[in-house]
Amino acid sequence: MRLLFDLSPADKAAFEAASAGERILYCLPFDCRHDKRVDGRMVFTDKAIYKVIDAEVEARWDFSELSDFSVEVLYGCGAFFAKVNGNTTRLCRFISGRNLTRYSVIVEACNRITGGDTEHTVVSDAPERYCPKCGRPFIVNTHICPYCQSKRESYRKLWAMTKGLRLMMMVPLITAFIGMAITFVVPILQRTLIDDYIQNSNFDAKENWFLHFFLIVAAIVGFDMLSKVISMVQGRIAAVAGNRFTRFLRTLLFEKIQLLSMSSVQKKSTGDLMGRINNDVAVVQNFITNLLPTYFAQLLSFFLGLVLILSMSPVMSAFVFVPIPFVVWAIYLFRHMMRRLNIKQWMKGNRTNRTLQDILSGIRVVKAYGREEAAIEEFTDCTNQQAHQNEHTAKVFDTVFPLLGFALRFGSYLIMWYGNVMLFYGAMTVGELNQFNTYASIIYNPLMQITLIPRNISAFATSFGKILEILEEEPDVADARKPEHFKFKGDVSVQNVTFGYESATPVLRNVSVEVKAGEMIGIVGHSGCGKSTLINLIMRMYDPTDGVIEIDGVNIKDISQQSLRSQMGVVLQETHLFSGSVRDNIKYAKPYATDAEVIRAARAANAHDFIMRLPEGYNTIVGEKGYSLSGGERQRIAIARALIHDPSILILDEATAALDTETEKLIQDAIDKMTDNRTTFAIAHRLSTLRNADKILVIDHGRIAEFGTHKELLDQRGIYFKLVMAQTRAALEKG
Amino acid sequence: MANATETKKVLDDSDITDLFEHRVSLDLTPENARFTRSGGGLISLEVTQPSGKVEFFERIVPIRAFPISSPETFIAIREPDSQMGGRGAEIGMIETLDIFPEEVSRMIRDELEHRYFTPAIQKIHSFREKFGYCYWDVTTTAGRVEFIMNNPGSNIRTLEDGRVFMYDIDGNCFTIENPAALDKHSYKKVEIYL
Ligand SMILES: Nc1ncnc2c1ncn2[C@@H]1O[C@H](COP(=O)(O)OP(=O)(O)OP(=O)(O)O)[C@@H](O)[C@H]1O
Ligand SMILES: [Mg+2]
Repeated sequence: MRLLFDLSPADKAAFEAASAGERILYCLPFDCRHDKRVDGRMVFTDKAIYKVIDAEVEARWDFSELSDFSVEVLYGCGAFFAKVNGNTTRLCRFISGRNLTRYSVIVEACNRITGGDTEHTVVSDAPERYCPKCGRPFIVNTHICPYCQSKRESYRKLWAMTKGLRLMMMVPLITAFIGMAITFVVPILQRTLIDDYIQNSNFDAKENWFLHFFLIVAAIVGFDMLSKVISMVQGRIAAVAGNRFTRFLRTLLFEKIQLLSMSSVQKKSTGDLMGRINNDVAVVQNFITNLLPTYFAQLLSFFLGLVLILSMSPVMSAFVFVPIPFVVWAIYLFRHMMRRLNIKQWMKGNRTNRTLQDILSGIRVVKAYGREEAAIEEFTDCTNQQAHQNEHTAKVFDTVFPLLGFALRFGSYLIMWYGNVMLFYGAMTVGELNQFNTYASIIYNPLMQITLIPRNISAFATSFGKILEILEEEPDVADARKPEHFKFKGDVSVQNVTFGYESATPVLRNVSVEVKAGEMIGIVGHSGCGKSTLINLIMRMYDPTDGVIEIDGVNIKDISQQSLRSQMGVVLQETHLFSGSVRDNIKYAKPYATDAEVIRAARAANAHDFIMRLPEGYNTIVGEKGYSLSGGERQRIAIARALIHDPSILILDEATAALDTETEKLIQDAIDKMTDNRTTFAIAHRLSTLRNADKILVIDHGRIAEFGTHKELLDQRGIYFKLVMAQTRAALEKG
Repeated sequence: MANATETKKVLDDSDITDLFEHRVSLDLTPENARFTRSGGGLISLEVTQPSGKVEFFERIVPIRAFPISSPETFIAIREPDSQMGGRGAEIGMIETLDIFPEEVSRMIRDELEHRYFTPAIQKIHSFREKFGYCYWDVTTTAGRVEFIMNNPGSNIRTLEDGRVFMYDIDGNCFTIENPAALDKHSYKKVEIYL
């Protein structure tokens, strides 16, 4: 990431005049002042900070008077603060997305300078998020600038994707070619038929008149049938190619989504991802395997037809082209309107889908609050708007296109007129005229199609862009080059870990914990203090911004993620069951588990008993998200799922919160038996849950406040002591 | 867990009432709150608690409870988040600024303006869409700005009162106060997304 920006010559002169040849260490833009966007620079030297704007040094702060640097995220902007002689002061403001991370790094840099270290400048290895060429942002987690990226590059990638399908994609071209040949031959036969037989009254002039006549008719019928057969074959092959391409692209996309880290998947909504996998792939597929070959075929037939009519009668050919300038002009005029209509229609459809998904997935809440009518109203409103939009679009298109078609075919009336004149003077036969007319109409078809091309291409480009965006993303939590696989003992060491979901506001600050294999660690702290976040880091759902996490002395970044996760058992705060049977859900972490193992895990989780009372035992279907079970039952299945693959590290995030103390105790005892040589992290608000813990870790505002055994912490009379007292008091008051 | 009698004893020993100091958010009025400019050009506050206790904060941060639907009412006065690395607690709430003297309300409004940076779009010079990204070139109350938006369908939000909020790829926000009041060319460029 860039921390040394350029100064404009004027700014540089101003800075040099104000400073006595100080060395510039960092230079960052500040682009926000009062209610305006500006282009200023904050210059950091080893002595002071200069605020330079419009060729003037607006302010100078000496590092000796500065302390307590900080960055605050505001709304639409951010600000850089420091204490100037003990008074908190806002040094500058900047547009947040762009410079937030830079200033967060600068805070550290300033601390270093005030600490007396001006030699070691801070270097940030965070990737640059903005295109060096145009300054526009890259697609998240990639080095692709959608603006600068040449289209050729994307199309090259698309071409690579069609590998294995190219032959099939050629088929429509070949068949189109054959089909066309037929369409060109048939008019010739027709012409012979008309001129030599139908119009010729001199029957006896030819021998075997009837046989010839019959042969020609048969040939016409035969060719017609052949062309149908060919289009049938082509349809089938196109369907196969289309399906293969869809399957290929969908799988590719889905695999990629599975590989992406939590943080990047989280940024996109489920609906969005589903849309990309379903709709956008369909649009791209249709374009690649149907439209594109058709366009080529049309192009081909256009030129063939052109050559044929030109060779027959250049004058009449000219008539074909008379209306074309007008049509092109009309399309040009309508182009914006068509695009607008398409986008509007797409947006309304999208809104309906979103509303539908939102309401259906929250149907329990809708019912619980008796808001069915509001839901119906909301949905009806969406569908009504969509219907109106669709109607409107259809009306416009169905008016414009027939009109355009009529205009385009206007040339054929001219041809008719001219042809009849030619007939009258005997310069042309009826058969020839018919042949010419047929060829001319072959040309009209591609011409009509051309009017649709811009629309299809714009739809395709949008969808393809959305797909590429995912395919190109580099997973930010990736396996090391040579990931390690080994069986964990279960030592976990967290060293100086700092982490924030948005890097400017750390959720965990400088956290260090040493856990020995087999220990059970209880984690407590108020809601939102970062307990689940710590767990996420240990599971490597995210990588820490700073610091390392080691298992058995190996950095988890060097352990293969597969190996890491397969030795961890996790019960997450939000239990999610898949729709399927109880057995499938328990076996989820270990697909080849035997039934005996399933039962053993269920017993340990104290779930066996209630499962046996279900009508179909372990084969009972739990329904979507497990809604047919109670909250505590779901939790116990999740615990069984975590226990089944005998993990070396067990993580329980409020795993027993929905259970009564009695059941909880039973499970704890069972887990206890199983946890002899298992490192366990248990998060709990109810402290009695942690009675078996070897050590308690108290987190407060993202820092470790206390760490020690139950007894040690009570003696410290700190936060843990207060928590215990408060809960006991509550219990005593009730009792 | 400590057994019951032991706990009872500890409970009796210690003054449990202030084990968990929760600041109670006050209704701030000119009577109990005195806002002043801080030495660093920000805002300081001296509050008188109902108990009569007087507290001084070198710096406070005003935050809107409803920045979009009603930015002028319900303004929370908080300790800054950066304070001691923790989360700042709410000191109190101002239901409406009008009850304060002109200079105080102006000071707070000014600070709010610094916090919420949402330039209003006055003119749209160009709008291009390429591979699913939209490139806008607009004149706003904050000057001429080019910004990029991903997925205009979900990043342009029209409120019931007709205002439009647009979020760019960095999460910055731009508004259109009244789309119908834009000139014809500008309006045409956003119209499809409304
Ligand atoms: N995916 C996320 N993106 C951004 N911020 C997040 C995300 N997940 C959590 N946070 C924030 O990080 C902080 C810590 O969250 P965390 O889930 O670790 O809390 P917790 O200690 O587990 O709380 P609880 O006891 O309520 O489960 C919270 O302020 C939360 O708002
Ligand atoms: Mg949690």
